[in-house]
Amino acid sequence: MAESLRAVPAHSSADPGILAAQSREDLVVGDEIVRFRYYTRAVHWGVALTFFLCLFTGLPIWTPIFGWMAPLFGGLQVCRWLHPWTGIAFSVFALLQFVHWAGAMRMTEADKRFTKLKNFLAYMRWQYHDDEVGKFNGGQKSLFWLSSLAALGLLATGVVMWLPNYFSNPFREASWILHDLTFILFFLLVLGHIYLSIAEPGTFAGMVRGTVSKAWARLHHPSWYRDVTGERRR
Amino acid sequence: MAVPGLEVLQSSASLRGTNSGLRQVPVVSKLIDTSTCIGCKACEVACQEWNDLPNAKTVQQGNYQTLPTMTADFWNLIKFHEVDVDGSFNWLMRKDQCMHCSDPGCLKACPAPGAIVQYSNGIVDVNPDQCIGCGLCEIGCPFDVPRFSEKTGKMSKCTLCVDRTTVGLEPACVKACPTGCLHFGTKADMLAMGNERVKQLKADGYASAGLYDPPGVGGTGVVTVLKHADKPEIYGLPRDPTVPTSVRVAKSYLRPLGLLGIGAVVVGLVGHYLKFGPRVPPKDPPSSTPPAV
Repeated sequence: MAESLRAVPAHSSADPGILAAQSREDLVVGDEIVRFRYYTRAVHWGVALTFFLCLFTGLPIWTPIFGWMAPLFGGLQVCRWLHPWTGIAFSVFALLQFVHWAGAMRMTEADKRFTKLKNFLAYMRWQYHDDEVGKFNGGQKSLFWLSSLAALGLLATGVVMWLPNYFSNPFREASWILHDLTFILFFLLVLGHIYLSIAEPGTFAGMVRGTVSKAWARLHHPSWYRDVTGERRR
Repeated sequence: MAVPGLEVLQSSASLRGTNSGLRQVPVVSKLIDTSTCIGCKACEVACQEWNDLPNAKTVQQGNYQTLPTMTADFWNLIKFHEVDVDGSFNWLMRKDQCMHCSDPGCLKACPAPGAIVQYSNGIVDVNPDQCIGCGLCEIGCPFDVPRFSEKTGKMSKCTLCVDRTTVGLEPACVKACPTGCLHFGTKADMLAMGNERVKQLKADGYASAGLYDPPGVGGTGVVTVLKHADKPEIYGLPRDPTVPTSVRVAKSYLRPLGLLGIGAVVVGLVGHYLKFGPRVPPKDPPSSTPPAV
């Protein structure tokens, strides 16, 4: 860890944690552990921002109940024009994120245990602990694979609806239904994802600052904590 | 598009139209008698003229048809079908145009509030100001009618000359038709007239003559007399048109269920937070074993 701090002059008032998190992750800085370096966070926030642009330009087209969102972008016509492009932007970030994280998201035995319904429900009661959970738990990894699939599905069906003249009607009908269905399921997952990042303090901050507390890491990602700190299992 | 004297019965992506029901307006209809159509295309010209549509450059396809298909600025196309029916050659001409369905699939599919409206007299009209050019009406239409302008990206189609019919004139095509195969009036009158004509055709030996007013879309505002009503396909008409299943699935099931699901999850998560609260990591406990570095 010392090497990463070399860049910080003694007189600097910059936060060593943040500075370290510019280019490195999985290392200890004082009381904190760098979890997500700058690139990781930039890509994830790119995904998040473009997701919400897609959401807010798409919802008023999905149902007039959300029609009030359309004026935020200049009206429903603008939404209809913008939505495909925000979709492309989202796809680009989703692809970057996929490439960046796919290796880290392989399911381990502990992750498979996590995804059992009984265990997941226990987790949601804050009563599940598995000492073997690594940098990402089974839920996060499942979300990663499901949302990557959803992004692919939304892109494919979206392109069909965007360029209607190149596709036959059955294709367009199927795309319409699948686009709606995928969006609904994906959005439910994202709601849960955002909720957990807030309901488990330190998580959201970790994606903003790049660092988490040791206590947080020990609670949520014990195996990753041991790997990073070199501490033995207790 | 507000038309004086007409209220809106239903409007796309809107909870309800403006129809108060105070004024009882009869449902109107156009009758097309394909058995007396001579393919002169006066209706095509009249439609272009009245609606200020540009001249269409004709496309030679080895028959007398003006264009292969309707376009965004050609709403009324006489389709020429050369077919064998029961061993005899038939030259069938049918006026292709918006059918003004009672249950319009285009309106059902349209996500833009007020872009497609159905007036209280049954006419289905497009409001280009509201149209967002998404193309979903194409999916909704069982007759392949909506067309999109290259320039504006907006949908256009036959309006049943709503600007003429609301002031007591017949549609331009009806006005121009030289053989009297086109008629305009209340739906009841047109059905009566059409049935009368079917009776004549049957007496003339066309046993399968009939009226095309498909119930799958609640009947149409354009009813067609066919000599071979048992085979509407040979005229290019679908046998039993309905609003496509995809439109019903998306609008009647997926959308309410999705909204319900999203609402339930949001409420559920708030409830979860109130019940379980945040999961705060315990304060650093003194480690029983010193760090192994």
